[in-house]
Amino acid sequence: MNKAKEKIMSIVFLIAALTSIFAVALICLFLIVNGIPAMAKIGLFDFLLGKEWAPSDVPAEYGILPMILGSLYVTAGAVLIGVPIGILSAVFLAFVCPKKLYKKVKPAVDLLAGVPSVVYGFFGMAVLVPITGYSMLTASLLLGIMILPTVIGLAESALRAVPTQYYEGSLALGAGHYKSVFSVVLPAAKSGLLAAVVLGIGRAIGETMAVIMVAGNQARIPHSLFKGVRTLTANIVIEMGYASELHRDALIATGVVLFVFILIINLSFSALKRRSDK
Amino acid sequence: MKKHIPLICLCFIALLLTSCGFGGKGEFKADKEIAVFSREDGSGTRTAFTEIFNIVEMGENGTRKDRTTKEAVIAKQTDVLMSGIASDRYSIGYLSLGSVNKTIKLISIDGVYPTAETVKNGTYAVSRPFIIVTKKEISPATQDFINFMLSKEGQAVAAESYISAVDNAPEFNSSMPSGKVVVAGSSSVTPVMEKLKEAYIEINPNAIIEIQLSDSSSGIQGVIDGTCDIGMSSRHLKDSEKAVLDQHTIALDGIAIVVNKNNPINNLSSEQVKAVFKGEITRWRELIEQG
Repeated sequence: MNKAKEKIMSIVFLIAALTSIFAVALICLFLIVNGIPAMAKIGLFDFLLGKEWAPSDVPAEYGILPMILGSLYVTAGAVLIGVPIGILSAVFLAFVCPKKLYKKVKPAVDLLAGVPSVVYGFFGMAVLVPITGYSMLTASLLLGIMILPTVIGLAESALRAVPTQYYEGSLALGAGHYKSVFSVVLPAAKSGLLAAVVLGIGRAIGETMAVIMVAGNQARIPHSLFKGVRTLTANIVIEMGYASELHRDALIATGVVLFVFILIINLSFSALKRRSDK
Repeated sequence: MKKHIPLICLCFIALLLTSCGFGGKGEFKADKEIAVFSREDGSGTRTAFTEIFNIVEMGENGTRKDRTTKEAVIAKQTDVLMSGIASDRYSIGYLSLGSVNKTIKLISIDGVYPTAETVKNGTYAVSRPFIIVTKKEISPATQDFINFMLSKEGQAVAAESYISAVDNAPEFNSSMPSGKVVVAGSSSVTPVMEKLKEAYIEINPNAIIEIQLSDSSSGIQGVIDGTCDIGMSSRHLKDSEKAVLDQHTIALDGIAIVVNKNNPINNLSSEQVKAVFKGEITRWRELIEQG
């Protein structure tokens, strides 16, 4: 009887586990079936390296280079802003913060992760846009804030995973508190910290709603920090409502490109993680 | 030194925020760049706007090129565009006359101020049709609701904010069918559809009308897929769509050119609007001096 029960339960668990795999497989299939023919029709190079995006023109142009660059620039900006603040915050939480304060700061950081992105978007529109305009800078600032919880959380646990002997050994050799943290513990946690950065990049590149609301969304090669920019995600969401036929497929193909980006990021994340686990 | 880094970062950000924050106030500076706001490619409002102002260039062999400046900020929805214009004093944009609210300023085109009246009598030329589409075969409830929209009573409702599309519309006699009618599509058509629904439900309480807001293409696609009974569109149908669908024009809408409330400009010529949206005029001074 018990054996049968266990057998049944193990099948239930198997099905539960397969559900997510099934979902991923389905999404891949959907992207490939809809996106690849569109890429072939437009021409892979015209699609990836084309500088013009004008789907309503005749003949239509479907070049997504502006959006690829847009996504890369905005993400780079977010990393430049979010990573230093995030890692320093993690150092603070792990080595400096008094216990009493920690109990307040940590939930605040976690709360930041729970804020819906459309709320970030409204914040950006109401507070940042009047100052910095609809621009790459605004989008980077906002994304920089949005990736903080991801970076802080992972960086903190990477720092805490470094054996305390490292820190103590450094102190014993006569180094001060900060010297030990920055010259011994941080380098020891290197791959964990890199993983935090990579996941932050993943969060930034996939963000949609908040970016649309502050970035200006111009579909042309981004050329200034103070001018607008359109990301891959924004391109899909903005035009999906009106798209039909090849235009719609081109947007799905944009999704394929984004998916490949995310795939590369996740693969490098797990590679880094494997190295830090060793 | 290193322990000061977070502090220095914070100070820097605070400085950045405050120093820029106080720069935006004061007089309207005509030397400033015009912040052009547009809608996304494929939007019915954009298609109508660019065609009316000849911003779209039609070639001899069917080519079509949208010359809207690439620097235009793209707002995905009417309300996003409105709040953008309301917060940026150097901005200019366009939207459906029916959805304009008091946070922004309308300007006259070639000396004609956009009102329901001027759109109706044709003096304000910047307008477009509101279309409903259905399958060729429809339910009695759907047919009855459409009859209402095209009747004298329905057109009177449409005429409250738009111009009626049917001349000498017949009086409405409901066959009082019961059933559910799902209406989906253009966010520009939705406000008037809500009013039509309210008026119709009063006459025929048996029917249930459900309105879903999305956009023209989604509405049309919904009808083709059978997920809704009536699609709302603010753009003309494509040939592939015309082949399988029936269409009726229920109203006409003016497209308003809008600026920030602090903008001193009251009138632009259609040539000026065209030049601004094509990116040929980029500073407010050029418009103010001409005007």
